[in-house]
Amino acid sequence: MKATIDKVLLIILLVAFLVSLYLVFIWAPQIKASNASEQIAQKIFYYHVPSAWLGFLSFFVVFIASVAYLWTRDRKYELLSVASAEIGILFITLVLLTGPIWAKPVWGIWWTWDARLTSSLILWLIYIAFLMLRRYLPDGSKRANLSAVVGIIGFVDVPIVYYSIRWWETQHPKAIMASSEGSLATPMFIAFMFTLTTFTVLYVYLVRQRLQLLKLEDLVTKQFKEMEIL
Amino acid sequence: MNAAYAILRKDLQLEFRSKESILAMWIFSLLIFVIFNFTFEVSRLVMLEIAPGLLWVAFIFSGMFGLNHSFAVEKEHGNLRAMALMPVDGSQIYLGKFLSVTVIMLMFEMLIFPIFIIFYDLQLSLNMLLLIPVLLAGTIGFTSLGTILSGVSVQTRNQQILLSLLLWPLVSPIIIWSVTLTSMVLGGNIAGGFYPLLVRVISFDVIFFTISYLLFNFILED
Repeated sequence: MKATIDKVLLIILLVAFLVSLYLVFIWAPQIKASNASEQIAQKIFYYHVPSAWLGFLSFFVVFIASVAYLWTRDRKYELLSVASAEIGILFITLVLLTGPIWAKPVWGIWWTWDARLTSSLILWLIYIAFLMLRRYLPDGSKRANLSAVVGIIGFVDVPIVYYSIRWWETQHPKAIMASSEGSLATPMFIAFMFTLTTFTVLYVYLVRQRLQLLKLEDLVTKQFKEMEIL
Repeated sequence: MNAAYAILRKDLQLEFRSKESILAMWIFSLLIFVIFNFTFEVSRLVMLEIAPGLLWVAFIFSGMFGLNHSFAVEKEHGNLRAMALMPVDGSQIYLGKFLSVTVIMLMFEMLIFPIFIIFYDLQLSLNMLLLIPVLLAGTIGFTSLGTILSGVSVQTRNQQILLSLLLWPLVSPIIIWSVTLTSMVLGGNIAGGFYPLLVRVISFDVIFFTISYLLFNFILED
């Protein structure tokens, strides 16, 4: 049953990503910009923003799983928090990579110590520390407890970090969908929402895969331990 | 409450006898000022602009020593385990440790501040009294998170580096605001936004303290 779900998800993803490429690069209109590189760079927005969204979603799952672990002491929540943290870091890394690729032609620089950029980098560092902590501890309930505590504090801190840096002047483009000054053209909006949904399915798929792998690791370790006793 | 008080008293007594933390932090800050001076040879005007940041760099780098030390001494003699076995709530242990670290750090700040004023040739004024709440609020934010994370990292294989990795990104909002507040005071520019910002730092201190207080029990468990 589980394998079937994974297969179905994989097929959906393969198709959806092809459709998304078509929607983003062929169907959705180009923006009006002074030079060609700026025009094409705008396309990165369709992948940059969903990656950021997945980063936040992942860290929210880390938080929920950490609370659930401390509540129930069920190993599966610990594994979920690890899987989700790893995937979250992956996507925030993508955000930190796609951002500069866009910024170079548009701003003329790769990086600036701007509010959004700095807070994303800090977010990335918080969850890197979360995984480093697990590296420095032997497997067991101690590790699960300590990382759950850090998982909770880390997530509570995320809005504070964003808030603290928000009042710096930002050059980062505003969230245009939510503001009154303008909105995306309808085809752009559809292409964006489609990519966003596809990314979210990708997250579900990746978490399932990673969880399965972590459970297998557990099984192998357990069997090794039994063999040593025999 | 008694357990927290006992831990505070024990830590302070230890500190006053050995002066291990405060002395090390003080010398370390002095070194930071010296090294800073010849890595960035800047004019006096620029120096005035970066002085608030430098002060907080000295505080957090030296503060790491105090935080690490606070739990390292407990680990050395298996005290951490004994503490976990004490028939009191873990939050009491947190409270005691938090208070002792904070008091030690504030004393260190008081001792380094005169040196800072001399080195950077700052003008003493009545306005500077406003630095007292700023230093208090910033330090409490730093130590409230630092205490629980020091308790976390002391139980790992690589305590020293891990504490910095965990604490610095998490405490960055407090540091950003504290530096801003400090430069407002030192620049004599407290008219706009000083008090609202100070209140903000204090309210986040409360959040950090409460969450650490509530979670400390879990890090002592096996």
